[in-house]
Amino acid sequence: MFPTPVQKSSPAVRVGYQAFLPLALFLWLLPLIAVMIFSIKPDVDFTTGNYWGWPSSFEGFTNYGLVFFESAMPRYLLNSVLITVPTVIGTVALACMTGFALGVYKFKGNLLIFFMFIAGNFVPFQILMVPVRDLTVDMGLYNTKTGLVLFHIAFQTGFATLFMRNFIRALPFPLIEAARVEGVAEWRIFVYVVLPLMKPAIAAMAVLIFTFIWNDYFWAVVLTQGPESQPVTAGITSFNAQYRAAYHLMSAGSIVAALPPVLMFFLMQKHFIAGLTLGAVK
Amino acid sequence: MRSILKTSFAAFVAAGIAASAMQANAQTLSGDLVIFSDMSNPAPRAVMEGMVERFGEMHPDLNIELTVIDREAYKTQIRNFLTANAPDVANWYAANRMLPYVEAGLFEDVSDIWEGAMSEELASTKGALTVGDAQYGVPYTYYQWGVYYRKDLFDQFGLTEPTTWEEELANCQTLLDNGIKCYTIGTKFLWTAGGWFDYLNMRTNGYDFHARLTNGEESWTSDEVRATFANWRQLIDMGAFIDDHQNYSWQEALPFMVNGEAASYLMGNFAVAPLREAGLTDEQIDFYQFVEITPGIPKGEDAPTDTFHIPSGAQNKEAAREFLRFVVSAENQTLINNGANLGQLPVNALSSVDDDKFLQQGFEMLSSGAPGGIAQFFDRDAPAEMAAAGMEGFQEFMVFPDNLDDILERLEATRQDVY
Repeated sequence: MFPTPVQKSSPAVRVGYQAFLPLALFLWLLPLIAVMIFSIKPDVDFTTGNYWGWPSSFEGFTNYGLVFFESAMPRYLLNSVLITVPTVIGTVALACMTGFALGVYKFKGNLLIFFMFIAGNFVPFQILMVPVRDLTVDMGLYNTKTGLVLFHIAFQTGFATLFMRNFIRALPFPLIEAARVEGVAEWRIFVYVVLPLMKPAIAAMAVLIFTFIWNDYFWAVVLTQGPESQPVTAGITSFNAQYRAAYHLMSAGSIVAALPPVLMFFLMQKHFIAGLTLGAVK
Repeated sequence: MRSILKTSFAAFVAAGIAASAMQANAQTLSGDLVIFSDMSNPAPRAVMEGMVERFGEMHPDLNIELTVIDREAYKTQIRNFLTANAPDVANWYAANRMLPYVEAGLFEDVSDIWEGAMSEELASTKGALTVGDAQYGVPYTYYQWGVYYRKDLFDQFGLTEPTTWEEELANCQTLLDNGIKCYTIGTKFLWTAGGWFDYLNMRTNGYDFHARLTNGEESWTSDEVRATFANWRQLIDMGAFIDDHQNYSWQEALPFMVNGEAASYLMGNFAVAPLREAGLTDEQIDFYQFVEITPGIPKGEDAPTDTFHIPSGAQNKEAAREFLRFVVSAENQTLINNGANLGQLPVNALSSVDDDKFLQQGFEMLSSGAPGGIAQFFDRDAPAEMAAAGMEGFQEFMVFPDNLDDILERLEATRQDVY
């Protein structure tokens, strides 16, 4: 079996592995540790050059207090929720339907439509920046949460459809045939037969899309401006002063912004991993 | 006779006040006034909100809508909103920074605001807001550049504020002999090196040459430019600058001065706040004007100016003009630039300055110590592409001074392309 399990290798390798693993882990996590330490430091530590030392005073409460009560951060967090949740619901709903249509019905052009959905995934999204921005301006959706949600739904549905279609393909088709023989209407088959079976796929999809959209920075900057519509990823930079970067506040803000996806991951770990591997082996 | 004069003068003034009051009454502004501002830090934000509030009280029928955008994000968003959904008033910067928008027809000609007395009151920045023969914006604040130094370290080694290049070099040598670097600098983001070039070039060749150079009218391979770099090289060869400065941002270079490893910093006045916060007192830090290099050349200074503009696509230009007039008034500029607010220098010559030690020195320096002229800063005076190439070259020169010929030829090639 490749790779050879560590337990079966020579003692020297095992000891080396056990010695280097914590070290590698520490180095790997160093940037994150730095952000955590920075978030409890006072501003002065950055001017006196005390980056890695013990904080000269503990300002964790002050910094996080500033982030929550004195800045537009709660507003940005709310925006993120208002952008992410509708996108997840919209994408999953659309993808379930397209996946059902493409997975169950045999019609001319089925494969062509399916390929078009997939092809969307191969377009590097950066080249869409200018046309999408012009489109949202023309539609009057520039700098609105709706504009961002609609775009995210449109762009994520491609990937989600691929995912859902393959999942539905893998379902036992006789179930659907049996329902048809019983004379069940097609939409009832979708709602009562297929959807319940898709629950694991829906959960995995929802978790994935949630993290994608929550962490999106690019479109947030392109399509929105200001605290009335921008999500938290774009809002963190608002801590920067005109001449100075507020490292301590940005660190505290980043941690707050990172918590929801991290929580999501730990609560839904099972689905997350399922989501990454689903469709990989058929 | 005298009393008659006095009375008639008084009458004249009274009539003037009445007239202006009537004018103010006649101009009842209404509708919406949309303002986009990049004054996103807590203090500037409060200033902006305060101005809107006071202006709103003067014009109760006007519905003012203020959107404050993060300063960095604003720099990319302005291209967007000037064409997409233009506000009535927008913040920006003077000189070449506003030129692309003026040339694209996105900023309104506001020469009418500059007519008459205003041109006198705002004379120090008029050139920076003029394109062709017209003005395209108004200034609300600026700040000085110069050498901020550790007075306690200077005192310790018996040094005094230098005024000539020889004294500057001698001071520096003394510091180096005692294991202290002369200057801290962080060139990671390039612009700090631009400040050094601005000053060395303005002092070596004069403000007019510097203005022509940033305007593309002088060659980068000329003897004058080489003389500037030769002076710079003297400092580099001495080891005057801190090591590895290309790895630091300007903020990350502050600890060297705070911890006494470097004695001074050529920087804008915004460096004072973090130095004070780090525990240095006003007895420990002081300021001097960049020294004379070529004797007899009138000194020029860098004083980056922040501005307000009216986008061409504005809906309520009448109210916008009135707001700009309000912004530049001496009374308003005194208030918004005082220590409790922006803590910078007012542009209007009739305003008064906060009694902060550094602001006083800066105001003095800019109003009477800079007969050469006032520059905006390298990356605002030179067009964007030239500024980017130039500042990269300066950083490279500071690390590898032997590459000078290559660098200058590259800059000259860029100049041929850009202008």
